Amino acid sequence: MARTLELAQLPALARGFSLLGSGGGGTTIMLELMLPDAATWPITLYELDDLDPSMPCLGAAFVGSTMLLGERLVAEAPFARLVAAAERWLGEPVPVVCSLEGGGLNGLTPLTFAGERMVVDADLTGRAVPSLDQMSLLVDRVPGVIATCDTGAGGVMLVQTDRPIDMERVIRSATVQAGGAGGTVFAGFTVGDLVEHSIHGSTVRALELGEAFTATASAPLPELAAALGGRVLGLGRITSVVPDARDPHVHAIGVDGVGGEVHRIITRSETLAFMTDGRLEASAPSIIVVLDAVTRDILEVTDLVLARTVAVLELPAPQWWSRSPERMRHVVPSAYGIPDLDGAA
Amino acid sequence: MNESLRLSALLAHPANGGLRVIVGPDDAEWTDVSIESTESELPADGAGGLAILTVPTPGTPWQQDALVRRTRDRGFLALAVPQADRFGSGTRTLAARLGLTLLHVERPMVLAKACWHLLEARDALTLGYVRKVAQSIEYPAESLPDLLRHLSASVGHGIALIDSEGVLFEAGGSLDRAVHAVVDFAPWVDLARAEGGGTAASVRVDSPSREGLRLAFFGDGLSDPQLSALAVAAEVAMPAVAARILIDEVAAVNETSVSSGVLRDFVDLRGTPDADVERRMLERGWRTTGYHLAFRIIGRTRLDAFQLLRFVTGGIGEIAADSHATTSGRGVSGWLTFVEPPTPTQVETHILALRGLHVAARRAFNIATGVGSLESGSTGLYTSLSEATDAARIAVNRSTTGWFVRVDGLGLEQLLLAWTGNDTFVPAAQSLLAPLQEGSGELLTTLSSYLDHESGIAATAAALGLHRNTVSSRIQRAQELLGVDITDPEARLALHLACRVTQS
Repeated sequence: MARTLELAQLPALARGFSLLGSGGGGTTIMLELMLPDAATWPITLYELDDLDPSMPCLGAAFVGSTMLLGERLVAEAPFARLVAAAERWLGEPVPVVCSLEGGGLNGLTPLTFAGERMVVDADLTGRAVPSLDQMSLLVDRVPGVIATCDTGAGGVMLVQTDRPIDMERVIRSATVQAGGAGGTVFAGFTVGDLVEHSIHGSTVRALELGEAFTATASAPLPELAAALGGRVLGLGRITSVVPDARDPHVHAIGVDGVGGEVHRIITRSETLAFMTDGRLEASAPSIIVVLDAVTRDILEVTDLVLARTVAVLELPAPQWWSRSPERMRHVVPSAYGIPDLDGAA
Repeated sequence: MNESLRLSALLAHPANGGLRVIVGPDDAEWTDVSIESTESELPADGAGGLAILTVPTPGTPWQQDALVRRTRDRGFLALAVPQADRFGSGTRTLAARLGLTLLHVERPMVLAKACWHLLEARDALTLGYVRKVAQSIEYPAESLPDLLRHLSASVGHGIALIDSEGVLFEAGGSLDRAVHAVVDFAPWVDLARAEGGGTAASVRVDSPSREGLRLAFFGDGLSDPQLSALAVAAEVAMPAVAARILIDEVAAVNETSVSSGVLRDFVDLRGTPDADVERRMLERGWRTTGYHLAFRIIGRTRLDAFQLLRFVTGGIGEIAADSHATTSGRGVSGWLTFVEPPTPTQVETHILALRGLHVAARRAFNIATGVGSLESGSTGLYTSLSEATDAARIAVNRSTTGWFVRVDGLGLEQLLLAWTGNDTFVPAAQSLLAPLQEGSGELLTTLSSYLDHESGIAATAAALGLHRNTVSSRIQRAQELLGVDITDPEARLALHLACRVTQS
C-alpha cells in the first residue's frame, strides 16, 4: 500500500533517520532545509509490492565527508548528471528511486527525486554504514549493478565491475578528486531485485521512530527506549576518549555509569559496539544510539567529547543482515578490522 | 598446595619479575596460582586464585576490559599480566569494581617461579638465599657497612645490625622502629612481625667484644616461609659479620693508638715546631694552622677510653666544624679547627655543642669535660689543649657546673689554685705555715694581706685597720718564725700560694 508523506512529517522522518544513523550517516539538517523546495509535496511513498517487479530502479546517496556537505552547499538537482549518465549507459529511463543508505542524511536523499520519479520504500543498508561495498545488492552480488559518481568540476564517472570492493575504492577515489564529498547513483537493478536484496520499509520505520522519539523526548529514559522498541544500554559521563593505535578513526570512549558501571562506546564512522563492565552488550549491525542525556539531542560520533553526559540506547538491527553469515560478515565490527567485538547482536 | 600466597610476600620477594600493584588492596591472599599464556587457556574454576598471563594483552581498552571481566568471571581474584601499567582508568575502575587485584609484571615467568618458591618449594627458597649469602662473602669487604651492603644487595632484602637501643648499621633499606621494638633479643633466632606489615628475621651475633647484637634481614610484608628462609640466611651470614666486627675493632684500636701517640708527641713538644710530628699530624688530617678550640674529656672514675672515643667521634661529627679526637691518657682529647677566625657567637655555639656532647656522654660514662680557649697556630693548639686539660681537672670536682668547665670562664687564680689544690701541696702548705697558727692566727691574716697588697705596709694597715707599726712588727715576726726571705720572688710566690690554700 502506497502512503503519502506530508511536509509536516519531515522533521519526524529526519529524527528517525538520525536514530538509524547509529551515530553516523551525517546530519539531516541540510536535506531538511532543501526538501521543502526541492520536492513536490505531498510525496507518494510506494511499497515494493505496489510496483511492477520489472521496473528499473536507481538509488542515490551523498558520499564522502558528511561534514563537508554542510560547508559546501549542495547544488540544485545534485544527481541530475549522474542519473543521466546511468540512463544513457543502460539505454532506458529509470522511473523508480530507492535509498542507498537507510540512516542519516541519505535516508532523505530519495525524496529529492519526488515528483519526477516514484519513491519506493526500500534501501540497501537499513542503517548508516561507511563503505559502498556494504550495499545489500553488492553483498549479495546481484549482477549488472553499475554506479555513477561526481569527479568534480561537473565530471561524471561510471563504474561497472563484478568486484564490489572496486566500487568502494574507485568511487572513494573519485569523491576525493571531487573535493571530498559528492553524489553517487546506483542503477542497473529492478524493483524485483529489491524484494530479496534490500531492506524494506526503512522510511516508514524512520517515520515511526521519529514520531515516537518526538513524543517521548522528555519522558524517562526507559520509557523513551520502550517507545522506540529498543532498550537502555547505559547512562553516564564520558571520562575518556582513546583513539586506537592502529586505526585512528576508531575510538574507545569511556563512560562512567551513574551506578558505577564502566561503559565503553566503540566508534568508527558510526557507533559500532557498546560494553558494560567488560561485557559486550551490543554491537553492529545493532543500531546504537547515543543521546545527550540532558538535551536528548541525537549525537554523532564526533559529538562524543569528554565530560558530556550521554544516554545510550540499542535499537534492533535490520533483520536482513542476520539472515546469513555471509551478510553478517560485511557489517560486524571485525569488517572494519576491529577485533573481539562481534556477536552481541 | 594447602598454603596460601600473600601479595605482600610476593611484593617483598627480591625476584618477583617486577611485580607492581595497579589496582587492589594493600595486601591480599590467594590459594592457588594459574600460569597460562592467554586468558582463554585459564581454568574455568579460578577458585580465588592468582592468574598469571605471559602474553601481553592487546592494546584496546575494550579488550582490556574484557580480559579483566573474563578473568574475574572465571573466579580468579587477581590477575598479573605484562603491560598492565598501560591499562586506562576505565579498566582500572572496572577491576576495582569487580574486586580483581590487577598486577603489572615485567617478567611473568620469574613471578611464577617466586610463587612456586613461596607455595611449594621453601627449601629452594632457603637454598637460594643461602647461596646468595655465600656469594656475597666471596667478595672482600672493606668494612662492616660494606659487608652489610654486599649481603643486602645479594640477598635482595634490607639487613641491619641492631642492639636493644637501635640500629647500629643498616643497608638496603631502613629498619622501622616499630619492627625493632618487637624483635626479641633473647632467643638464637627470632621472627618479628610488627603492626603495619614490617617484618624481620634476626639471629644473635656471637661477638666476643660486643654483647647483645643481632643481625636482622628485614622487609615489608614478608611471609612466614620467607622469614624462616631469611633466618637461615642470617645464621649463615652471622659468623662473617661477627668476624668483621672483630677485624674492624682491632683496626680501630690500632688506629687510635697511632693517633694517640701522635698527639702525645705533639704535646710533649710544648708548641716547638718539629717537622716529623707535623708531617705525621698532617697525614691524619690534623692541621696546626688556623684557629683551634680544644676540649678534653676525662673519667671521674675508671672508664674505657676507647669506648668513650667511639662515642665522642660519633658526636663531634655532628658539630659543624673540622673536628678531631683521640684517646690521651685516661680520657679523650679533641679539638675543632677553623681556617678563618670564628666570631664570638660561633665560638659560643660550638662550645654549646660540646656541652651537648658532654651531656649525652654522661648518660653512658661518668666523665668531666674541660674546654680550652680559642688559640691560633701550632703553639695555640698546644695552649688550647693544655688549657682544656687544666679545665677538665677542675671540672672533675665541679658538680655545680655539671662537670663541665671552660677556661674562659675561670679566673687565672682559680686556675692556679686548681694546680695547687692537690693532695701533696695542701699538707705541705699547712706545715709550712704551722708556726703562724699560734695565738689567734693574726700573723697569718696579716701576712696574707701583706702579700696581697704587694708588700705595702701602709696599704695592709689600711685594709686591716691596724697601725703601720703593728703591721711591720707582725711581718717581721712571721719572717722570723718561718725562716724565709720574703724578698726572694720564688719564696714569696710559694708563701702567697700557701696562704691562699690554707685560708680558702
